[in-house]
Amino acid sequence: MTAALTGDPATVPAAAPPTALRRALPLLAAPVAFFVAFFAVPMVVVLSSSLMAGGAPSLANYARVLLDQYHWDVLAVTFRIAALTTLAVTLLGYPLAYYLVRVVSSNALRRGCVILLLLPLFTSNIVRSFGWMILLGRNGLVNDTLVGIGLLERPIRFLGTETGIVIGLVYILLPFIVLAVGNALATVDPTLEEASADLGSSPFTTFWTVTFPLCLPGLIAGVIMVFTLAASAYVTPALLSGGKITVFPMLIFQQYSTVFDVHYGGALSITLLVFTLVLVALAGRIGNGGGNRS
Amino acid sequence: MIARILLRIVAWAVMAYLVLPLVVIVGASLTATSYLAFPPQGLTLDWYGRMLADTSYVAAFGTSTALALAATAGAVLLALPAALAIARHDFPAKRTLLSLLMSPLVLPHVVLGAALLQYCAALGLMRSFAALLVGHVVIVTPFVLRSVLPQLTPEQRALEEASADLGARPFETFLLVVLPQIRGGLTSGAIFAFISSWINVELSIFNTTAELTTIPVKLFNYVQYTIDPVIAAVSSITIAVAAVTIVLLDLTVGLHVLSKRR
Repeated sequence: MTAALTGDPATVPAAAPPTALRRALPLLAAPVAFFVAFFAVPMVVVLSSSLMAGGAPSLANYARVLLDQYHWDVLAVTFRIAALTTLAVTLLGYPLAYYLVRVVSSNALRRGCVILLLLPLFTSNIVRSFGWMILLGRNGLVNDTLVGIGLLERPIRFLGTETGIVIGLVYILLPFIVLAVGNALATVDPTLEEASADLGSSPFTTFWTVTFPLCLPGLIAGVIMVFTLAASAYVTPALLSGGKITVFPMLIFQQYSTVFDVHYGGALSITLLVFTLVLVALAGRIGNGGGNRS
Repeated sequence: MIARILLRIVAWAVMAYLVLPLVVIVGASLTATSYLAFPPQGLTLDWYGRMLADTSYVAAFGTSTALALAATAGAVLLALPAALAIARHDFPAKRTLLSLLMSPLVLPHVVLGAALLQYCAALGLMRSFAALLVGHVVIVTPFVLRSVLPQLTPEQRALEEASADLGARPFETFLLVVLPQIRGGLTSGAIFAFISSWINVELSIFNTTAELTTIPVKLFNYVQYTIDPVIAAVSSITIAVAAVTIVLLDLTVGLHVLSKRR
């Protein structure tokens, strides 16, 4: 995007913005109208509903959300799951991204792996979670294998535990981090690494002082994306929790689908949204200059 | 080298982890048992037959496809002019506008779904195809915008000006000069838009009913109560759709991710 943003009237000839706007307006009319009507206004409706109680402006809904220990417990579970997921996704995804971009020399093999990486990404998270419901069941493949090779004496319960939810979410979100890190790695100039090696650095030093810092923006963008998606996930926790664990998005869903309390539900929505947006803003601050998410 | 071998092992283990659940679903859909079994015991296509005989599945597939196609068309119609305006004109609040159009990418879908349920209820559109469609257009438009914008480079502007100088009308310039340049970005953006709409649960779930439902939402509601091989068969079809979409992406614009930029 051009840096020539004409926000400061002093630097812009008085006639310029209206002319530019007039020429851009026919192109902008439809998208702006649509996004205002079906995105901005609905969000404003949620916000204003959350600020109303008993027909009058009030912060009572927020008090109900924030003064109740239960909500903080659910928030803690939600963000603990999101943090664990993000950590696991990073530890698993980074090596795979590095391997695919730097070690695999055959284009055909890399392409095959990219296809296998996109396949789950293009499959609904309900289908993917369903796969884990089969795998993680008491007599599922995972338990059978662990018992079979003697790691466990008897099957353990995954479904209905935070571990089960984390396994499912890691699976759902892994492709995001591999793509974010991999695309950052692909743009790192290999001659920089060669120079580091020529100057006597060990491969590890080269990685740690040259490669890793250069693709840090991609990693940060990926990490923040995974964290926000994990914190706002509904389907995977709903299926793998077996009704035993509650995460914040489930509270929102309950309020709108069964109770239909738009005031209290609105306050819950805005609470989740604020947490998410703060994190995204943080990501933008840290990853600034790192460019676009891809 | 130990580090390299370790890296290789971790990488292949992670690849196996990525593929395993999909293999399990397809495998379980072929089992001859009446319960889900993996590895499958016996081989049969009966569950696919059962699925096709159930008109509610066929209807849900139809709804999902119509919705994804309509949402993609809507996203292209909105994102294309917006991208042109953003890339070719300097106007006030451009950055704000871009943020507005891209923000559905980071907004929790549950929140947007809830908002649209309440809003569409007020408009009398609650739980209708129109309510589903507007939500899907909102969430998939950023995909098209994101892949078209980088292709509208300043250098190509000269070509567009030349075209205009040679007497082409704006629409002719768009059709003959701009469109061929952005065809790749438009195609991949549209494919991502289609698949994102096709697999969505968290937005759709608010505005669906027992009669009007998409395939992922139908699966979600079903899986919470019963698990049987029919579900695995339906899931396998969606995996096949994903595979076809990826092949389509590869054939039209190529899979350039993770390879060095040209």
